[in-house]
Amino acid sequence: MSLGMIRALPAQRGDFARINSRRSRHQSWLLRVDWVLLLAVLALSVLGALLVWSATKQRQEDVGADPQLYLKRHLVNLVIGIGLAIVVAMIDYRYLRAYAPIVYVASLVGLAAVLFVGTTINGAKAWIVVGFGFQLQPSEFVKVALVVLMAMILGEKRDDRRVGVVNTPSHGDVLLVLGVAALPGVLILAEPDFGMAIDVIIIVLGVLAVSGAPLRWVAGLILAGALVAFFVLQFGLLKPYQLDRLTSFAKSDSNVSSSGYNVDQAKTAIASGGVLGKGLFHGPLTHGEFVPEQQTDFVFTVAGEELGFAGGAAIIGLFGIILWRGLSIAARSHDSFGRLVAVGVVCWFSFQCFVNIGMTLGIMPVTGLPLPFVSYGGSAMFANLVAIGLLQNVYARSRDDDPYPA
Amino acid sequence: MLSSKEQLFQPKRPEAGLPGVARRPVRRRRRLRIGVLRVLVLSMLITLGARLWFLQVMEGSHYNEVAAGNSIREVVTPAVRGLIVDDVGRPLVENRTTLVITVDRSALARQRDSGRAVLARVGALLGQKPQDLAQRIRLCTATVGQPCWNGSPYQPVLIADDVSSQRALTVIEHPEDYPGVAAEVRAVRTYPFGSLASHTVGYLSPASQDEVAKNPDLNGVLVGRSGLEASYDTVVRGHDGVKRVSVDRFGRLSKVMSEKPPVGGSTLVLSMDAKVQKVLEDALQHGIDRARAEHKPADNAAGVVLDAQTGQVVALASVPGYDPAQFVGGISAANYQHLLDPAAGTPLISRALEGAYPPGSAFKIVSAATAMTNMGATGDALYDCPSDLQVGNTSFHNFDSEALGSITLHQALVASCDTVFYKFAYDAWLQDGGLRRGQGPSAPPNEWFSKMARAFGLGRPTGIDLPGETSGLVTDRESRQALWDQMKDTYCRRAKTGYPEERDPGRAAYLTKLASENCADGYLYRGGDATQFAIGQNVVDVSPLQLAVAYAAIANGGTVLSPRLVKAVIGPDGKVTQQTKPVVMGHLPVAPETLSYIRDALAGVVTSGTASGTFGGFPLDVLPLGGKTGTAETYSDGDISWFASFGPVNNPRYVVLVVIPKSGQGAKFAAPAVREVWEGIYGINRDAALPAGQEPASLPCQRPDGSVAPPPAPGGRCER
Repeated sequence: MSLGMIRALPAQRGDFARINSRRSRHQSWLLRVDWVLLLAVLALSVLGALLVWSATKQRQEDVGADPQLYLKRHLVNLVIGIGLAIVVAMIDYRYLRAYAPIVYVASLVGLAAVLFVGTTINGAKAWIVVGFGFQLQPSEFVKVALVVLMAMILGEKRDDRRVGVVNTPSHGDVLLVLGVAALPGVLILAEPDFGMAIDVIIIVLGVLAVSGAPLRWVAGLILAGALVAFFVLQFGLLKPYQLDRLTSFAKSDSNVSSSGYNVDQAKTAIASGGVLGKGLFHGPLTHGEFVPEQQTDFVFTVAGEELGFAGGAAIIGLFGIILWRGLSIAARSHDSFGRLVAVGVVCWFSFQCFVNIGMTLGIMPVTGLPLPFVSYGGSAMFANLVAIGLLQNVYARSRDDDPYPA
Repeated sequence: MLSSKEQLFQPKRPEAGLPGVARRPVRRRRRLRIGVLRVLVLSMLITLGARLWFLQVMEGSHYNEVAAGNSIREVVTPAVRGLIVDDVGRPLVENRTTLVITVDRSALARQRDSGRAVLARVGALLGQKPQDLAQRIRLCTATVGQPCWNGSPYQPVLIADDVSSQRALTVIEHPEDYPGVAAEVRAVRTYPFGSLASHTVGYLSPASQDEVAKNPDLNGVLVGRSGLEASYDTVVRGHDGVKRVSVDRFGRLSKVMSEKPPVGGSTLVLSMDAKVQKVLEDALQHGIDRARAEHKPADNAAGVVLDAQTGQVVALASVPGYDPAQFVGGISAANYQHLLDPAAGTPLISRALEGAYPPGSAFKIVSAATAMTNMGATGDALYDCPSDLQVGNTSFHNFDSEALGSITLHQALVASCDTVFYKFAYDAWLQDGGLRRGQGPSAPPNEWFSKMARAFGLGRPTGIDLPGETSGLVTDRESRQALWDQMKDTYCRRAKTGYPEERDPGRAAYLTKLASENCADGYLYRGGDATQFAIGQNVVDVSPLQLAVAYAAIANGGTVLSPRLVKAVIGPDGKVTQQTKPVVMGHLPVAPETLSYIRDALAGVVTSGTASGTFGGFPLDVLPLGGKTGTAETYSDGDISWFASFGPVNNPRYVVLVVIPKSGQGAKFAAPAVREVWEGIYGINRDAALPAGQEPASLPCQRPDGSVAPPPAPGGRCER
């Protein structure tokens, strides 16, 4: 597809020179970091560590264990995650993406393995115990791999310098993406972890929509999803606890079911926090262990009760900054690959943020999706920070002159 | 921002037809799509923020209460109730500690099998059936009746008391086998004198749900239900300690929010003397025994010993009594039924103040006072005592239809001549216009007799510091009309339907005839009624306590006193917080000479009158007594035997009164019991209950440990 005509345009030369003159490769790395994004992520992580600590302190004391155990592990996870993020951010994503298929295949193997040797938590067989109290959740890593792979498939051709024009993804590309996403998607559904599966679908939809793929595909996929959901509900393919989780948020007074209890306690804990909260480590309901799964899925309730509206709104605000920066990075990226990676990450975080917080506020169904950066959990922490590393990477490269330097 | 560089790459016209090559709208589309994502993200964040605002700021206070309800519990430490001691500090009611087993029903409910296994183990340990335990700990509701738990769901339910320490230790040492079960030490009431003065001290039971709804402080608290425990409940109860604790989801205590220590209740010091009380109760029982030995149906008796000068109650008894200890830890249904069983003499009723009986001739002190005060009678004038008096077409006759000729009022009292008093009452009735009911142009009726009766404190409660007192009955034209207005529908209905539920056909016919008469003209206060009033029959009912107050007024020179049982209240710190002074209800509108005349006549009753036989051999020269017999007739149950007395006559100290229903003549059954009481108080042929007949001058002392010591010698002080 080499047309060569654009390179011949004379006006371009000066342009190149101007950009080349401030080649970022020689710039200070300080200037190539999106500090707003970084600080927001760090703030959220520190807040998360405190909330996890508060949520687990009493529980650990009750069983005579180290009250700081979860805090320590959370901080270890955080440090490892930041290390991973730095590595991911440093290596030019155009080289980095070569590893995406490896991560993809590895997480597929993990997802398959989970079905045989996995540990069941809250109805989903999604974890592999690796010892020392640590568990791996392959579905978290699959999201990273998927985002990068999709960006490769949908974005690479469009940056073909020899073509010099921007291509829309072909039907074949879209089908390939769907195939790549369907494989882990089916495995996740088999766990079964519906929340995670829908998370994957949202990421795929978001990336497809922004990739320039025909809207027919996006609309068609949404329609297909709706049909599948209809049939699943219609023919009772859900297990009772799944249906219970999905519907309990819609019933105001469903104390009878356990998820109804969870949501009631979560709502009560959050609402009782008022404007300024009861103070960190001083929430009676948190302290009294009224909210289940509080360090993971319901970690937002700790913020609600102990830090009040101020704290809750701060968390939502920090997510706002992260997501907004993510979209800005997508918008300013020179190449489709970077843009699609950024969009994928934003879709991933925003869905989890909305579903997780919405669940604790009683406006979304109960799903096992953690709150990024805040919830306790190593795999999610690593995957989330790697995703932030990718965003930083795209941000740094978007200052470069040329995605394919000679 | 999209770089301008790419714009430069953009050809002016896209190569149409080339496969997969973008057209110009692609970039705009992409921008648009990122813009759409921004809008989505923003609206999502706003949704979360708005929901958060709604929950925390708009509805925060509501959920705050819900959260507090979830996580805050009140733990009540019951205050130790105060003692009730007699005049020299003998405890009638005190506390002892006991080992109890309690079950926390909410803890059981959380167990996998709803606590069935635990109840089975506890049942085996205590020798009780698990299903009985399950019934006792279930919550009372509209549909779930006794046995059930009437208290708070969070208050542990007591399932056994007086548990052996071995069993209690089993529970304490094996919490894994008995989750939700606790063994603890509790203070419970104990009654060193058993059933002595049971009606006066009363009993306790847990506050009902209704009471708790009105006063949440009563949650799980024992409340006085009768006697002094009820009337001085708040004084004796003290204040429970309340600890507000926050608990976790499993009900485990996590933090103490606030703590208020319990304050013990105050000690009641009674004017009652346990020894005199014992003498009185024994005398009453002997009276019943004597009557039953003569095949009378007597099954109960009541008596009062009053301090004639102060109105303080020295003894107050109703036989049969009951052992208040039955109520500790909950009374069984069978035992409670027994206490209410008429065949057993309805032991729960305190007849001394709840029972109202016609006083018979014992009422003649009122009639004599009326005659001398209002009817112009004088002490030395002679009045005819025929065997009967014709009123209308009815003849009212003397007891045994005896005619005594012309006698003074003194003699009329001593010999208990009825017709003399009939005449005064009938004259008073005629003066008031006979059947006229205070209507029309004439002056309002004087109603001397009923007015005098009320002045003696009859017809209304005496105001004693005990609950459940009767008003008795004092009839005049006005009250007769009021009663008829209230009852005429019942009378007229009964006149038609009769009394089919009555087993005795004779009695049923009598009652039907009465209803028929009452329906027709029951509002009329007839001459016959007035004559009966004068001898305390039919239209007059008094409680033993009321009549004792009336005799005290005669004895003390005309002061009508409201009787009191509690002499003083000693606070938990040992300080006397309340000391009872005599409470004067009124003064008799009777001249002192008249009272003296009546006292003299009553002394004559004992020395030479109707009671002289009973008091043969009694050292009246040392302890001169005055008294009056009364024999009230009832339709079926046999006569009510009364004897009211006071002494010493020259300086009256006590009033002693006994009534034995369903026995016979006053002189035959009540008077010997009264004699027995006097002997007991003063130690005639036996030990004196009150040395020299004197009540202690000073109060008993409360020791620092809360127990009570006898009063110090006169002039001495309590050791602290």
